[in-house]
Amino acid sequence: MGVSYQAVGWNRQKKIYDWLIFAFCALYLSTFVGLTVVFNADYTFETVLIRSTSTLAVLLLHIILSIGPLSRINRKFLPLLYNRRHLGVTMFFVAAIHGTFGILQFHSLGNVNPFVSLFTSNTNYGSLTDFPFQALGFFALLIFFLMAITSHDFWLHNLSPRVWKTLHMFVYVAYFLVVMHVMLGVIQYETNPVFVLIMVIGSFTLICLHMIAGFKEVKKDKVISMMTENGFSKVCVVDDIEENRAKIFCLDKERIAVFKVDGKLFAISNVCKHQNGPLGEGKVIDGCITCPWHGYQYLPRNGQSPPPFKEKVSTYDVKVINDQVWLNPNPYPEGTERAGAPIIAP
Amino acid sequence: MIRPLRRIHLRTWSLFAVLLPVGIISAWLSVPSLPAYKLFQPVQAEPLPVVVRTIKTEDHIINLRSDASHHSYQLEWINITALSAPSALIYRTKNNGDVENAEIIGRIDPRGLYRFSLKNDTTGNSHFVVYDIIHHRVIEKINF
Repeated sequence: MGVSYQAVGWNRQKKIYDWLIFAFCALYLSTFVGLTVVFNADYTFETVLIRSTSTLAVLLLHIILSIGPLSRINRKFLPLLYNRRHLGVTMFFVAAIHGTFGILQFHSLGNVNPFVSLFTSNTNYGSLTDFPFQALGFFALLIFFLMAITSHDFWLHNLSPRVWKTLHMFVYVAYFLVVMHVMLGVIQYETNPVFVLIMVIGSFTLICLHMIAGFKEVKKDKVISMMTENGFSKVCVVDDIEENRAKIFCLDKERIAVFKVDGKLFAISNVCKHQNGPLGEGKVIDGCITCPWHGYQYLPRNGQSPPPFKEKVSTYDVKVINDQVWLNPNPYPEGTERAGAPIIAP
Repeated sequence: MIRPLRRIHLRTWSLFAVLLPVGIISAWLSVPSLPAYKLFQPVQAEPLPVVVRTIKTEDHIINLRSDASHHSYQLEWINITALSAPSALIYRTKNNGDVENAEIIGRIDPRGLYRFSLKNDTTGNSHFVVYDIIHHRVIEKINF
């Protein structure tokens, strides 16, 4: 969370994260090159570079796409989510090296523009065996490029969260293009079944993780409070909520987080204004509700970010009657001050 | 995440649960049983014992080999440095080096060692051309 925009908002955690990404990529590439030198010494430098970066980019893409559902299934994975953007940009750079050298090696030696050659050298769109798979990779890379250059809060604010999120949802289209790029490309002439196995395991894992996480969220949304009175619904007992933590309830269209802070209960929208992170899964730090995704903060009493920040979320009425917590799902305008419900010991 | 986004995620991956297996299986089933490039790269043959002639340059060594009775011949190509073309074909030609009606001996890649069996040629023809089929240019003419 910062007042002004910086190219990269470095902090200690992000530096450690990025060093780990760099070390992983360097270790992977050096291992790949080393094994190639030992087992396939005849391969050219360009071929080794194209193959090593392609496999690394596919691996990174699978890791990136698994972080979201893993974080929803188990909170221990949340630290991975914190700096996922850097992982995404790294994956784009690795994929760009693969794409650039691929075009150089296979399309730059002729007498036509390499990009024209990419789309005209093979036009067998009706054949699976001879499908022009490089075009699929090109469009996937184009999506990754657009995502990489807009992976910054500047673009999130200026494009609007809705447009930004829509653009970044295209990662799924890109993933499908990548899978088919691999399956219709290297798999068609590489007899080693390991390549198919890797893609099958990767895709299967991602499908399972996303489905498990998705159905877990559906289950949460379907919990309905049966007891309502004067617009308030009984949701839990006071002891169900830990101090400086929240419990999340889905009463109407959206989720509400009820926090316990300094002997009072406060209810605010569960959706962070930054990237729709789940505020109710965060905790209260220095008196502020802190989003577990990127650390955006809000005051419990009014849902406003502390000055000079300007983000605001909706607040709700909550009350405690005989140790029971009652919640009104009608939201107040964003940033509306609420007194909170005092917890009276029975 | 807001509820509409959660729904989009779930619907997308429900769709992928069908699309990805269909795509992967279709692509896997369409893999040709004999990849085309294998036609020009048979399993490396053992070298014949007698080196009849050798041509050595900075970039490669070319040996014309035969068996002890000179009934079978073999062309051996050893790349010392990488070939400038991604791949090339070796033709046995008449004296003029024209590849139009020449006999294809085999394909070589930028690196490595290659051995190709030669048919017995009673005319004693030992003219070869290394040809870049992508850019349609003669890389080298070999005259033993």
